Amino acid sequence: MNAIEVKNLTKRFGDLTAVNHISFEVKKGEIFGFLGPNGAGKTTTIRMLTGLTEPSEGTARIMGHDIQKEPFRAKECFGIVPEVSNVYDDFSAWNNLMFAGELYGISRTRRTLKAEALLDKFGLSNFKKKKANGFSKGMKRKLTIAMALINEPDILFLDEPTSGLDVQSAAILRETLRELNENGTAIFLTTHNIEEANIMCDRVAIIVSGKIVAIDSPERLKRIIQVTQSVVVAFDSNPISLYDALVRIPRVSHVSREGDKCRLYTDDPSAVLSSVFEYARTNNLKLLTMNTLGPCLEDVFLRLVESGKQSFEANKR
Amino acid sequence: MKSESPYRLFRELMRAWAIAKKDFRLYYLTPGVIMFGILFPVFLFISFAVGRDLSSMELIPGLMAITIFFSASSTGPMAVPSERKSKTYDRLITAPLSPFSILLGETLGGFVFGGIIASVPLVIGIVWYGIEITNPIALILGIGLTSFCFSAMGIMFAAMPTENPGDVMMVLNFIRLPLLFVSGIFIPIKAMGDYSFVTVLSPLTYPVDILRYAIGGGNYYGLAWDAAGLLIYTCLFFACGFLLHERTRKRA
Repeated sequence: MNAIEVKNLTKRFGDLTAVNHISFEVKKGEIFGFLGPNGAGKTTTIRMLTGLTEPSEGTARIMGHDIQKEPFRAKECFGIVPEVSNVYDDFSAWNNLMFAGELYGISRTRRTLKAEALLDKFGLSNFKKKKANGFSKGMKRKLTIAMALINEPDILFLDEPTSGLDVQSAAILRETLRELNENGTAIFLTTHNIEEANIMCDRVAIIVSGKIVAIDSPERLKRIIQVTQSVVVAFDSNPISLYDALVRIPRVSHVSREGDKCRLYTDDPSAVLSSVFEYARTNNLKLLTMNTLGPCLEDVFLRLVESGKQSFEANKR
Repeated sequence: MKSESPYRLFRELMRAWAIAKKDFRLYYLTPGVIMFGILFPVFLFISFAVGRDLSSMELIPGLMAITIFFSASSTGPMAVPSERKSKTYDRLITAPLSPFSILLGETLGGFVFGGIIASVPLVIGIVWYGIEITNPIALILGIGLTSFCFSAMGIMFAAMPTENPGDVMMVLNFIRLPLLFVSGIFIPIKAMGDYSFVTVLSPLTYPVDILRYAIGGGNYYGLAWDAAGLLIYTCLFFACGFLLHERTRKRA
């Protein structure tokens, strides 16, 4: 059984089809990223998966339970962290956690223990009695996640989890999510941050204009556009003829200067590496840097978004 | 994965009660509820009652009915749009409890609040005017049913897809204020002559009538009809509220 199974999920708002017959599965214990530009349908999808809105067509099963037919059972299996931290500002951190626990029917003893542990885990123990309206954005985010974990869910939904957080808070949050995942929690996160999807996710679905245009691991997705592989080199000196010499290397499509380095684009990095070594040896140059770079997920994303949008426009016509 | 148990109804009731407690702590002693739910009806009542030849038998049940009417029906319109604005209402929808239980929880909060507020004019009536409770069962039934009925009414109006409590209050007052004059509070039903049939349509008629009966005053419709009227309106408000909230959720 998969953690999430989605078949032909569709949401229409009048004439606008926000999500258009999407299907995918998320395995137990997997970190699944839902990547797309603004307005692609990411939040609408997460809203349908969590029962916040009803799909116009299709089904979604959470841990085997249909979210429409068995909402009670399905909802017991997940926690949700929306894009906007939805804590009760006039409640203390403690009362927020207690209320979240009560909504899941957790006994007072258990939710007290769990809340203490969560406050400790997220570094909020010193703010236990403080009202949330005095919390920073990062603290509210942590409290929202803590509230989503009070019922020890099998799946954690996160909508743009690091949106608006500073770099340090975002890094701590990612580390926390990895720890949760290592303990078996499946994580479904929507993001428009490509690097976040790249470093966090086991698999990524790219959604454009309501349609999924690709689903795979970040590394496999990158292979879609192998032609953008490159070799970055830096020498101890840059003779005038350097640029012309590098452009003439077989299999190099073009060369760009990046500060004191040169980037050679190629579909065969290994052949280019040999030629660069040979060039350095014959011209008595010392190699300071030599890196091969694959296509980044951003390249894949941009290409898929562009082709997805073109296809959407063609269908509209 | 958690297993389904036969005690789901009990679990849902406990979760609904958790929502009621939360509302009570967060929203009911806010300026909006105090203004629209308590001060406004009290001063409105005083402005109409002062200088008129009303006995305490007529005055106190009217004041009680109005305070419950305004306080219980103000809580939902304050809590629900505020929660929509802070996105905490989504937290309730994604929790494992049915939409019915969410509304029940929101209604229970108003019910308790209305009941507590009703005790203020009652105590004033007993201490200041020396009224006597001749039928405690009718009093408890009247306060209980009235609080629940008008709390459900407020929740029904709170289905308006807005994040601003003021929007709901404005529409609600448009309905609430005219009802004051067709419910036998300021103008006795008997004195309305051919127009007395209008009072049947007002949900505020029955609390006034039942509470007058509870303190030994004469009532027009009788205890059974008053209770039935309140029950019918409670079911109507709750059912309409449920359908309207579901429609709002599905369109979101």
